[in-house]
Amino acid sequence: MRLREITLVAAREVRDALRSRWFVLAAGCFLALSLGLSMLGLAGAQRSGLAGFDRTTASLLNLALLFVPLLTLSLGGLGIAGELEDGSLAMLLSQPITRFEAYAGKYLGLLATVSASILVGFGATGVIVGVSAGGGNVRGFVTLVALTLLLGAATLSIGTLLSVALRTRARVIGAAFAVWLLLVYVSDLGTIGLTIARNLGPAQIFILALLNPMQQARVLGTLTLSQRLDVLGPVGIFGLDQFGMVGLTVLLLSVLVATAAAPLACGYVLFRRTPVT
Amino acid sequence: MIIATDLCLRLDERSILDHVSFTVARGESVALVGPNGSGKTSILRCLLGLVPFEGCVLVHGHDAVRDPIAVRTLLSYVPQKAAFGDAPAAEVLAFVATLRRIDRARIPETLRAVGLEAHANERVRTFSGGMQQRLSLALALLADTPVLLLDEPSASLDHEGQQMFFDIVARLRKRGHTLVLASHRPEEVECLTDRVLHLDRGRMVGDAAPASKVARVIALSARGERR
Repeated sequence: MRLREITLVAAREVRDALRSRWFVLAAGCFLALSLGLSMLGLAGAQRSGLAGFDRTTASLLNLALLFVPLLTLSLGGLGIAGELEDGSLAMLLSQPITRFEAYAGKYLGLLATVSASILVGFGATGVIVGVSAGGGNVRGFVTLVALTLLLGAATLSIGTLLSVALRTRARVIGAAFAVWLLLVYVSDLGTIGLTIARNLGPAQIFILALLNPMQQARVLGTLTLSQRLDVLGPVGIFGLDQFGMVGLTVLLLSVLVATAAAPLACGYVLFRRTPVT
Repeated sequence: MIIATDLCLRLDERSILDHVSFTVARGESVALVGPNGSGKTSILRCLLGLVPFEGCVLVHGHDAVRDPIAVRTLLSYVPQKAAFGDAPAAEVLAFVATLRRIDRARIPETLRAVGLEAHANERVRTFSGGMQQRLSLALALLADTPVLLLDEPSASLDHEGQQMFFDIVARLRKRGHTLVLASHRPEEVECLTDRVLHLDRGRMVGDAAPASKVARVIALSARGERR
Protein backbone atom coordinates (compact mmCIF):
# COMPACT_ATOMS: atom_id res chain seq x y z
CA MET A 1 0.00 0.00 0.00
CA ARG A 2 1.44 3.34 -1.07
CA LEU A 3 -0.01 6.48 0.51
CA ARG A 4 1.17 8.72 -2.34
CA GLU A 5 -0.91 6.81 -4.90
CA ILE A 6 -3.97 6.71 -2.62
CA THR A 7 -3.67 10.46 -2.10
CA LEU A 8 -3.37 11.08 -5.84
CA VAL A 9 -6.54 9.11 -6.58
CA ALA A 10 -8.36 10.79 -3.68
CA ALA A 11 -7.31 14.24 -4.92
CA ARG A 12 -8.57 13.36 -8.41
CA GLU A 13 -11.90 12.35 -6.87
CA VAL A 14 -12.14 15.69 -5.03
CA ARG A 15 -11.37 17.63 -8.22
CA ASP A 16 -14.05 15.67 -10.10
CA ALA A 17 -16.58 16.40 -7.34
CA LEU A 18 -15.80 20.13 -7.42
CA ARG A 19 -16.08 20.14 -11.19
CA SER A 20 -19.41 18.34 -11.25
CA ARG A 21 -20.79 20.91 -8.77
CA TRP A 22 -22.61 18.35 -6.62
CA PHE A 23 -20.35 19.48 -3.79
CA VAL A 24 -21.58 23.08 -4.03
CA LEU A 25 -25.16 21.88 -4.40
CA ALA A 26 -24.92 19.57 -1.36
CA ALA A 27 -23.24 22.22 0.82
CA GLY A 28 -25.86 24.79 -0.27
CA CYS A 29 -28.70 22.37 0.55
CA PHE A 30 -27.26 21.60 4.00
CA LEU A 31 -26.87 25.33 4.68
CA ALA A 32 -30.34 26.27 3.46
CA LEU A 33 -32.09 23.40 5.25
CA SER A 34 -30.23 23.83 8.53
CA LEU A 35 -30.80 27.61 8.56
CA GLY A 36 -34.44 27.05 7.64
CA LEU A 37 -34.85 24.57 10.49
CA SER A 38 -33.14 26.97 12.88
CA MET A 39 -35.64 29.69 11.93
CA LEU A 40 -38.58 27.29 12.22
CA GLY A 41 -37.30 26.29 15.67
CA LEU A 42 -38.75 29.48 17.13
CA ALA A 43 -42.01 29.33 15.26
CA GLY A 44 -43.59 27.19 17.98
CA ALA A 45 -42.71 29.90 20.50
CA GLN A 46 -44.57 32.52 18.39
CA ARG A 47 -41.27 34.26 17.69
CA SER A 48 -39.30 34.86 14.55
CA GLY A 49 -35.54 34.81 13.95
CA LEU A 50 -32.86 32.18 14.48
CA ALA A 51 -33.03 29.73 17.38
CA GLY A 52 -29.95 29.20 19.55
CA PHE A 53 -27.63 26.20 19.36
CA ASP A 54 -29.86 23.89 21.47
CA ARG A 55 -32.90 24.01 19.20
CA THR A 56 -30.79 24.17 16.04
CA THR A 57 -28.85 21.06 17.08
CA ALA A 58 -32.05 19.14 17.83
CA SER A 59 -33.46 20.06 14.41
CA LEU A 60 -30.18 19.23 12.66
CA LEU A 61 -30.14 15.72 14.11
CA ASN A 62 -33.25 14.78 12.12
CA LEU A 63 -31.99 16.59 9.03
CA ALA A 64 -28.66 14.76 9.19
CA LEU A 65 -30.34 11.38 9.72
CA LEU A 66 -32.52 11.87 6.64
CA PHE A 67 -30.36 13.61 4.08
CA VAL A 68 -26.76 12.56 4.75
CA PRO A 69 -27.42 8.84 4.09
CA LEU A 70 -29.39 9.72 0.95
CA LEU A 71 -26.43 11.71 -0.38
CA THR A 72 -23.71 9.27 0.63
CA LEU A 73 -25.50 6.08 -0.48
CA SER A 74 -25.98 7.59 -3.95
CA LEU A 75 -22.48 9.04 -4.24
CA GLY A 76 -20.79 5.90 -2.93
CA GLY A 77 -22.96 3.85 -5.25
CA LEU A 78 -22.02 5.83 -8.34
CA GLY A 79 -18.33 6.01 -7.44
CA ILE A 80 -17.10 2.73 -8.87
CA ALA A 81 -20.12 1.62 -10.93
CA GLY A 82 -20.09 4.89 -12.92
CA GLU A 83 -16.42 4.55 -13.84
CA LEU A 84 -16.80 0.85 -14.52
CA GLU A 85 -19.61 1.57 -16.99
CA ASP A 86 -17.98 4.46 -18.84
CA GLY A 87 -14.58 2.76 -19.06
CA SER A 88 -12.55 5.26 -17.05
CA LEU A 89 -11.88 2.68 -14.32
CA ALA A 90 -10.06 0.54 -16.89
CA MET A 91 -7.90 3.55 -17.77
CA LEU A 92 -7.12 4.14 -14.09
CA LEU A 93 -6.31 0.49 -13.37
CA SER A 94 -4.09 0.21 -16.44
CA GLN A 95 -1.72 2.61 -14.68
CA PRO A 96 0.86 1.35 -12.17
CA ILE A 97 -1.51 1.32 -9.23
CA THR A 98 -2.98 -1.55 -7.19
CA ARG A 99 -6.69 -2.19 -6.84
CA PHE A 100 -6.45 -1.43 -3.14
CA GLU A 101 -4.89 1.98 -3.85
CA ALA A 102 -7.57 2.80 -6.41
CA TYR A 103 -10.38 1.61 -4.12
CA ALA A 104 -9.09 3.34 -1.00
CA GLY A 105 -8.32 6.53 -2.94
CA LYS A 106 -11.79 6.70 -4.43
CA TYR A 107 -13.49 6.12 -1.05
CA LEU A 108 -11.30 8.62 0.79
CA GLY A 109 -11.72 11.23 -1.94
CA LEU A 110 -15.50 10.91 -1.78
CA LEU A 111 -15.43 10.93 2.01
CA ALA A 112 -13.33 14.11 2.00
CA THR A 113 -15.80 15.84 -0.34
CA VAL A 114 -18.89 14.70 1.53
CA SER A 115 -17.29 15.78 4.82
CA ALA A 116 -16.36 19.16 3.34
CA SER A 117 -19.93 19.73 2.11
CA ILE A 118 -21.33 18.85 5.57
CA LEU A 119 -18.76 21.06 7.31
CA VAL A 120 -19.39 23.98 4.97
CA GLY A 121 -23.20 23.66 5.19
CA PHE A 122 -23.54 23.02 8.90
CA GLY A 123 -20.46 25.09 9.78
CA ALA A 124 -21.88 28.17 8.07
CA THR A 125 -25.15 27.62 9.94
CA GLY A 126 -23.20 27.36 13.21
CA VAL A 127 -21.44 30.64 12.56
CA ILE A 128 -24.67 32.42 11.56
CA VAL A 129 -26.58 31.03 14.57
CA GLY A 130 -23.67 31.86 16.89
CA VAL A 131 -23.48 35.47 15.67
CA SER A 132 -27.25 36.07 15.42
CA ALA A 133 -28.73 34.10 18.32
CA GLY A 134 -25.72 33.05 20.39
CA GLY A 135 -25.81 31.02 23.56
CA GLY A 136 -26.65 27.39 24.15
CA ASN A 137 -24.75 24.17 23.84
CA VAL A 138 -22.04 24.86 21.26
CA ARG A 139 -20.30 21.63 22.21
CA GLY A 140 -23.45 19.67 21.44
CA PHE A 141 -23.64 21.31 18.01
CA VAL A 142 -20.01 20.44 17.25
CA THR A 143 -20.54 16.85 18.48
CA LEU A 144 -23.57 16.52 16.24
CA VAL A 145 -21.54 17.67 13.21
CA ALA A 146 -18.85 15.08 14.09
CA LEU A 147 -21.54 12.42 14.46
CA THR A 148 -22.95 13.37 11.06
CA LEU A 149 -19.51 12.90 9.51
CA LEU A 150 -19.25 9.44 11.06
CA LEU A 151 -22.74 8.50 9.85
CA GLY A 152 -21.72 9.79 6.40
CA ALA A 153 -18.61 7.56 6.44
CA ALA A 154 -20.72 4.51 7.37
CA THR A 155 -23.39 5.04 4.73
CA LEU A 156 -20.78 5.98 2.11
CA SER A 157 -19.11 2.63 2.67
CA ILE A 158 -22.48 0.85 2.26
CA GLY A 159 -22.92 2.79 -1.01
CA THR A 160 -19.42 1.75 -2.12
CA LEU A 161 -20.24 -1.90 -1.42
CA LEU A 162 -23.42 -1.57 -3.52
CA SER A 163 -21.37 0.02 -6.29
CA VAL A 164 -18.91 -2.88 -6.48
CA ALA A 165 -21.58 -5.56 -6.05
CA LEU A 166 -24.09 -4.24 -8.60
CA ARG A 167 -21.71 -2.64 -11.15
CA THR A 168 -24.20 -0.58 -13.14
CA ARG A 169 -25.49 2.91 -12.39
CA ALA A 170 -29.15 2.01 -12.87
CA ARG A 171 -29.03 -0.95 -10.49
CA VAL A 172 -26.97 0.94 -7.93
CA ILE A 173 -29.29 3.97 -7.83
CA GLY A 174 -32.30 1.70 -7.32
CA ALA A 175 -30.53 -0.27 -4.60
CA ALA A 176 -29.22 2.88 -2.87
CA PHE A 177 -32.76 4.28 -2.66
CA ALA A 178 -34.07 0.92 -1.39
CA VAL A 179 -31.36 0.79 1.31
CA TRP A 180 -32.14 4.38 2.30
CA LEU A 181 -35.84 3.53 2.67
CA LEU A 182 -34.89 0.43 4.64
CA LEU A 183 -32.66 2.39 7.03
CA VAL A 184 -34.99 5.37 7.45
CA TYR A 185 -38.45 3.80 7.54
CA VAL A 186 -38.64 0.06 7.01
CA SER A 187 -36.26 -0.96 9.78
CA ASP A 188 -38.34 0.97 12.35
CA LEU A 189 -41.56 -0.58 11.09
CA GLY A 190 -39.90 -3.99 10.90
CA THR A 191 -38.67 -3.72 14.47
CA ILE A 192 -42.14 -2.73 15.66
CA GLY A 193 -43.69 -5.60 13.68
CA LEU A 194 -41.20 -8.15 14.98
CA THR A 195 -41.61 -6.88 18.50
CA ILE A 196 -45.37 -7.41 18.31
CA ALA A 197 -45.26 -10.69 16.39
CA ARG A 198 -42.43 -12.34 18.30
CA ASN A 199 -42.76 -10.64 21.67
CA LEU A 200 -39.19 -9.41 21.50
CA GLY A 201 -37.55 -8.35 24.72
CA PRO A 202 -35.66 -5.08 25.22
CA ALA A 203 -32.29 -6.78 24.65
CA GLN A 204 -33.40 -8.14 21.28
CA ILE A 205 -34.83 -4.78 20.23
CA PHE A 206 -31.56 -3.16 21.31
CA ILE A 207 -29.57 -5.59 19.13
CA LEU A 208 -31.88 -4.92 16.15
CA ALA A 209 -31.35 -1.20 16.62
CA LEU A 210 -27.59 -1.71 16.66
CA LEU A 211 -27.77 -3.15 13.13
CA ASN A 212 -28.97 0.16 11.72
CA PRO A 213 -26.36 2.95 11.52
CA MET A 214 -29.12 5.55 11.61
CA GLN A 215 -30.43 4.18 14.90
CA GLN A 216 -26.89 4.17 16.27
CA ALA A 217 -26.47 7.81 15.25
CA ARG A 218 -29.96 8.74 16.50
CA VAL A 219 -29.35 7.40 20.01
CA LEU A 220 -25.85 8.90 20.10
CA GLY A 221 -27.19 12.26 18.95
CA THR A 222 -29.99 12.17 21.49
CA LEU A 223 -27.50 11.33 24.26
CA THR A 224 -25.52 14.40 23.21
CA LEU A 225 -28.56 16.64 23.37
CA SER A 226 -30.29 15.49 26.50
CA GLN A 227 -29.69 13.38 29.57
CA ARG A 228 -33.42 12.87 30.04
CA LEU A 229 -34.29 9.21 29.70
CA ASP A 230 -37.75 9.76 28.21
CA VAL A 231 -36.37 11.29 25.00
CA LEU A 232 -34.10 8.30 24.40
CA GLY A 233 -36.93 5.85 23.74
CA PRO A 234 -37.00 2.24 24.98
CA VAL A 235 -33.82 1.21 23.13
CA GLY A 236 -31.81 4.08 24.55
CA ILE A 237 -33.20 3.56 28.06
CA PHE A 238 -32.31 -0.16 27.92
CA GLY A 239 -28.81 0.63 26.67
CA LEU A 240 -28.31 3.27 29.34
CA ASP A 241 -29.48 0.82 32.01
CA GLN A 242 -27.13 -1.90 30.83
CA PHE A 243 -24.00 0.01 29.95
CA GLY A 244 -24.25 3.41 31.58
CA MET A 245 -23.70 6.71 29.80
CA VAL A 246 -20.03 6.23 28.92
CA GLY A 247 -20.41 2.53 28.11
CA LEU A 248 -23.37 3.12 25.79
CA THR A 249 -21.60 5.99 24.03
CA VAL A 250 -18.45 3.89 23.49
CA LEU A 251 -20.52 0.90 22.33
CA LEU A 252 -22.54 2.93 19.82
CA LEU A 253 -19.46 4.72 18.51
CA SER A 254 -17.66 1.40 18.10
CA VAL A 255 -20.60 -0.15 16.25
CA LEU A 256 -20.87 2.92 13.99
CA VAL A 257 -17.15 2.72 13.16
CA ALA A 258 -17.55 -1.03 12.51
CA THR A 259 -20.53 -0.24 10.27
CA ALA A 260 -18.24 2.04 8.25
CA ALA A 261 -15.40 -0.49 8.11
CA ALA A 262 -17.24 -3.77 7.42
CA PRO A 263 -19.03 -2.90 4.14
CA LEU A 264 -15.88 -1.15 2.94
CA ALA A 265 -13.82 -4.29 3.56
CA CYS A 266 -16.47 -6.51 1.92
CA GLY A 267 -16.53 -4.14 -1.05
CA TYR A 268 -12.77 -4.47 -1.44
CA VAL A 269 -12.92 -8.26 -1.34
CA LEU A 270 -15.40 -8.11 -4.26
CA PHE A 271 -13.48 -5.36 -6.06
CA ARG A 272 -10.27 -7.44 -6.09
CA ARG A 273 -11.99 -9.98 -8.33
CA THR A 274 -14.21 -7.62 -10.32
CA PRO A 275 -13.60 -7.84 -14.08
CA VAL A 276 -12.90 -4.35 -15.39
CA THR A 277 -14.05 -4.31 -18.99
CA MET B 1 9.39 -10.03 -23.58
CA ILE B 2 5.81 -11.15 -23.00
CA ILE B 3 5.07 -14.77 -22.16
CA ALA B 4 1.42 -15.76 -21.84
CA THR B 5 0.83 -19.36 -20.84
CA ASP B 6 -2.48 -21.21 -20.81
CA LEU B 7 -4.68 -18.14 -20.43
CA CYS B 8 -8.25 -19.07 -19.58
CA LEU B 9 -10.93 -16.50 -18.93
CA ARG B 10 -14.57 -17.00 -18.05
CA LEU B 11 -16.95 -14.08 -17.64
CA ASP B 12 -20.60 -14.52 -16.66
CA GLU B 13 -20.32 -18.31 -17.09
CA ARG B 14 -19.09 -17.86 -20.67
CA SER B 15 -15.69 -19.01 -21.84
CA ILE B 16 -13.84 -16.03 -23.35
CA LEU B 17 -10.31 -17.42 -23.59
CA ASP B 18 -9.51 -21.11 -23.76
CA HIS B 19 -5.89 -22.08 -23.00
CA VAL B 20 -4.28 -19.34 -25.05
CA SER B 21 -0.47 -19.28 -25.07
CA PHE B 22 1.92 -17.04 -26.98
CA THR B 23 5.16 -15.11 -26.64
CA VAL B 24 6.15 -11.71 -27.92
CA ALA B 25 9.85 -10.96 -28.14
CA ARG B 26 11.33 -7.68 -26.96
CA GLY B 27 10.95 -5.09 -29.74
CA GLU B 28 8.58 -7.27 -31.73
CA SER B 29 5.28 -6.00 -33.09
CA VAL B 30 2.46 -8.53 -33.01
CA ALA B 31 -1.12 -8.28 -34.26
CA LEU B 32 -4.04 -10.06 -32.66
CA VAL B 33 -6.68 -10.70 -35.30
CA GLY B 34 -9.93 -12.58 -35.38
CA PRO B 35 -13.68 -12.08 -35.65
CA ASN B 36 -15.65 -10.07 -33.12
CA GLY B 37 -15.78 -11.87 -29.79
CA SER B 38 -12.70 -13.98 -30.55
CA GLY B 39 -10.88 -12.72 -27.44
CA LYS B 40 -8.48 -10.05 -28.79
CA THR B 41 -9.43 -7.37 -26.26
CA SER B 42 -9.63 -9.95 -23.46
CA ILE B 43 -6.00 -10.92 -24.03
CA LEU B 44 -4.97 -7.28 -23.61
CA ARG B 45 -7.08 -7.06 -20.44
CA CYS B 46 -5.37 -10.18 -19.08
CA LEU B 47 -1.95 -8.65 -19.75
CA LEU B 48 -3.06 -5.58 -17.78
CA GLY B 49 -4.61 -7.64 -14.97
CA LEU B 50 -8.00 -6.01 -15.50
CA VAL B 51 -9.84 -9.34 -15.51
CA PRO B 52 -9.39 -12.37 -13.25
CA PHE B 53 -7.86 -15.10 -15.42
CA GLU B 54 -6.24 -18.49 -15.02
CA GLY B 55 -2.81 -19.13 -16.43
CA CYS B 56 0.32 -17.02 -16.30
CA VAL B 57 1.41 -13.72 -17.83
CA LEU B 58 5.01 -12.60 -17.56
CA VAL B 59 6.11 -9.19 -18.84
CA HIS B 60 9.88 -8.74 -18.81
CA GLY B 61 9.96 -11.44 -16.13
CA HIS B 62 7.31 -9.86 -13.88
CA ASP B 63 4.16 -11.82 -13.09
CA ALA B 64 1.00 -9.83 -13.95
CA VAL B 65 -0.91 -11.22 -10.94
CA ARG B 66 1.80 -11.21 -8.28
CA ASP B 67 3.53 -8.01 -9.33
CA PRO B 68 0.91 -5.88 -11.13
CA ILE B 69 2.63 -2.57 -10.43
CA ALA B 70 5.89 -3.66 -12.08
CA VAL B 71 3.95 -5.00 -15.06
CA ARG B 72 1.80 -1.90 -15.50
CA THR B 73 4.85 0.32 -15.19
CA LEU B 74 6.10 -1.40 -18.35
CA LEU B 75 2.77 -1.23 -20.21
CA SER B 76 0.69 1.46 -21.84
CA TYR B 77 -2.84 0.79 -23.00
CA VAL B 78 -4.75 2.46 -25.81
CA PRO B 79 -8.28 1.04 -25.53
CA GLN B 80 -10.89 0.75 -28.23
CA LYS B 81 -13.08 3.30 -26.48
CA ALA B 82 -11.15 5.62 -24.22
CA ALA B 83 -12.76 7.33 -21.21
CA PHE B 84 -11.21 9.76 -18.79
CA GLY B 85 -14.06 11.23 -16.74
CA ASP B 86 -14.72 14.93 -17.01
CA ALA B 87 -11.28 16.46 -16.47
CA PRO B 88 -9.56 18.75 -18.97
CA ALA B 89 -7.08 16.96 -21.27
CA ALA B 90 -4.01 18.53 -19.66
CA GLU B 91 -5.22 17.45 -16.21
CA VAL B 92 -5.66 13.84 -17.38
CA LEU B 93 -2.07 13.85 -18.61
CA ALA B 94 -0.85 15.58 -15.44
CA PHE B 95 -2.50 12.89 -13.29
CA VAL B 96 -0.79 10.08 -15.21
CA ALA B 97 2.51 12.00 -15.23
CA THR B 98 2.39 12.36 -11.43
CA LEU B 99 1.37 8.73 -10.95
CA ARG B 100 4.23 7.52 -13.16
CA ARG B 101 6.70 10.15 -11.86
CA ILE B 102 7.15 11.71 -15.30
CA ASP B 103 8.24 15.32 -15.81
CA ARG B 104 5.08 17.39 -16.38
CA ALA B 105 7.03 19.66 -18.73
CA ARG B 106 6.56 16.96 -21.36
CA ILE B 107 2.78 17.40 -21.42
CA PRO B 108 2.59 20.24 -23.99
CA GLU B 109 4.88 18.47 -26.47
CA THR B 110 2.87 15.25 -26.05
CA LEU B 111 -0.39 17.05 -26.75
CA ARG B 112 1.24 18.69 -29.77
CA ALA B 113 2.34 15.27 -31.08
CA VAL B 114 -1.28 14.07 -31.24
CA GLY B 115 -2.71 17.39 -32.46
CA LEU B 116 -4.54 18.28 -29.25
CA GLU B 117 -2.47 21.27 -28.11
CA ALA B 118 -5.36 23.66 -28.81
CA HIS B 119 -7.68 21.54 -26.67
CA ALA B 120 -5.47 21.17 -23.59
CA ASN B 121 -7.89 22.95 -21.27
CA GLU B 122 -11.10 21.55 -22.68
CA ARG B 123 -13.03 18.90 -20.82
CA VAL B 124 -12.47 15.43 -22.18
CA ARG B 125 -16.18 14.58 -21.99
CA THR B 126 -16.80 17.13 -24.75
CA PHE B 127 -14.23 15.43 -27.03
CA SER B 128 -15.27 13.41 -30.07
CA GLY B 129 -14.38 9.70 -30.19
CA GLY B 130 -11.38 10.50 -32.38
CA MET B 131 -10.10 13.18 -30.00
CA GLN B 132 -10.45 10.82 -27.04
CA GLN B 133 -8.48 8.24 -29.01
CA ARG B 134 -5.77 10.83 -29.66
CA LEU B 135 -5.65 11.63 -25.95
CA SER B 136 -5.35 7.94 -25.18
CA LEU B 137 -2.39 7.76 -27.54
CA ALA B 138 -0.95 10.86 -25.85
CA LEU B 139 -1.07 9.05 -22.51
CA ALA B 140 0.86 6.16 -24.01
CA LEU B 141 3.42 8.54 -25.52
CA LEU B 142 3.81 10.40 -22.24
CA ALA B 143 4.37 7.18 -20.31
CA ASP B 144 6.91 6.07 -22.95
CA THR B 145 6.75 2.48 -21.74
CA PRO B 146 8.69 -0.35 -23.47
CA VAL B 147 5.43 -2.21 -24.26
CA LEU B 148 2.31 -0.75 -25.90
CA LEU B 149 -1.04 -2.53 -25.98
CA LEU B 150 -3.24 -1.09 -28.70
CA ASP B 151 -6.87 -2.13 -29.04
CA GLU B 152 -8.22 -1.09 -32.44
CA PRO B 153 -6.53 2.24 -31.87
CA SER B 154 -7.39 3.90 -35.16
CA ALA B 155 -11.04 2.84 -35.25
CA SER B 156 -12.41 6.29 -34.32
CA LEU B 157 -9.76 8.34 -36.13
CA ASP B 158 -10.30 10.37 -39.30
CA HIS B 159 -7.88 10.05 -42.23
CA GLU B 160 -5.48 12.65 -40.83
CA GLY B 161 -5.66 11.03 -37.40
CA GLN B 162 -4.92 7.60 -38.85
CA GLN B 163 -1.89 8.97 -40.69
CA MET B 164 -0.65 10.58 -37.46
CA PHE B 165 -1.22 7.31 -35.61
CA PHE B 166 0.67 5.29 -38.25
CA ASP B 167 3.61 7.74 -38.08
CA ILE B 168 3.74 7.65 -34.28
CA VAL B 169 3.55 3.87 -34.05
CA ALA B 170 6.13 3.43 -36.83
CA ARG B 171 8.46 5.75 -34.91
CA LEU B 172 7.91 3.77 -31.71
CA ARG B 173 8.71 0.52 -33.55
CA LYS B 174 11.97 1.99 -34.82
CA ARG B 175 12.85 2.92 -31.26
CA GLY B 176 12.46 -0.71 -30.21
CA HIS B 177 9.12 -0.61 -28.39
CA THR B 178 7.19 -3.87 -28.19
CA LEU B 179 3.70 -3.62 -29.67
CA VAL B 180 0.65 -5.81 -29.28
CA LEU B 181 -2.09 -4.60 -31.60
CA ALA B 182 -5.64 -5.91 -31.72
CA SER B 183 -7.06 -4.95 -35.08
CA HIS B 184 -9.54 -5.68 -37.83
CA ARG B 185 -7.77 -3.47 -40.38
CA PRO B 186 -5.52 -5.31 -42.84
CA GLU B 187 -3.57 -2.16 -43.76
CA GLU B 188 -2.83 -1.47 -40.10
CA VAL B 189 -1.63 -5.02 -39.52
CA GLU B 190 0.41 -4.99 -42.73
CA CYS B 191 2.16 -1.71 -41.97
CA LEU B 192 2.69 -1.96 -38.26
CA THR B 193 3.28 -5.58 -37.26
CA ASP B 194 5.81 -8.36 -37.80
CA ARG B 195 3.62 -11.28 -36.86
CA VAL B 196 -0.06 -12.13 -36.67
CA LEU B 197 -1.71 -14.25 -34.00
CA HIS B 198 -5.08 -15.57 -35.11
CA LEU B 199 -7.86 -16.05 -32.61
CA ASP B 200 -11.21 -17.69 -33.04
CA ARG B 201 -13.78 -18.22 -30.27
CA GLY B 202 -11.21 -17.70 -27.57
CA ARG B 203 -8.61 -20.07 -29.02
CA MET B 204 -5.32 -19.40 -30.71
CA VAL B 205 -5.75 -20.90 -34.16
CA GLY B 206 -2.65 -19.68 -35.93
CA ASP B 207 0.61 -17.82 -35.80
CA ALA B 208 1.04 -16.49 -39.33
CA ALA B 209 4.28 -15.94 -41.16
CA PRO B 210 4.67 -12.36 -42.41
CA ALA B 211 4.15 -13.27 -46.09
CA SER B 212 0.74 -14.78 -45.57
CA LYS B 213 -0.56 -12.52 -42.83
CA VAL B 214 -2.57 -10.03 -44.86
CA ALA B 215 -4.53 -12.70 -46.70
CA ARG B 216 -5.36 -14.38 -43.40
CA VAL B 217 -6.35 -11.09 -41.77
CA ILE B 218 -8.74 -10.29 -44.58
CA ALA B 219 -10.20 -13.80 -44.48
CA LEU B 220 -10.71 -13.74 -40.74
CA SER B 221 -12.14 -10.21 -40.78
CA ALA B 222 -14.62 -11.27 -43.44
CA ARG B 223 -15.67 -14.21 -41.29
CA GLY B 224 -16.16 -11.81 -38.42
CA GLU B 225 -18.39 -9.60 -40.52
CA ARG B 226 -20.68 -12.49 -41.38
CA ARG B 227 -21.32 -13.48 -37.76
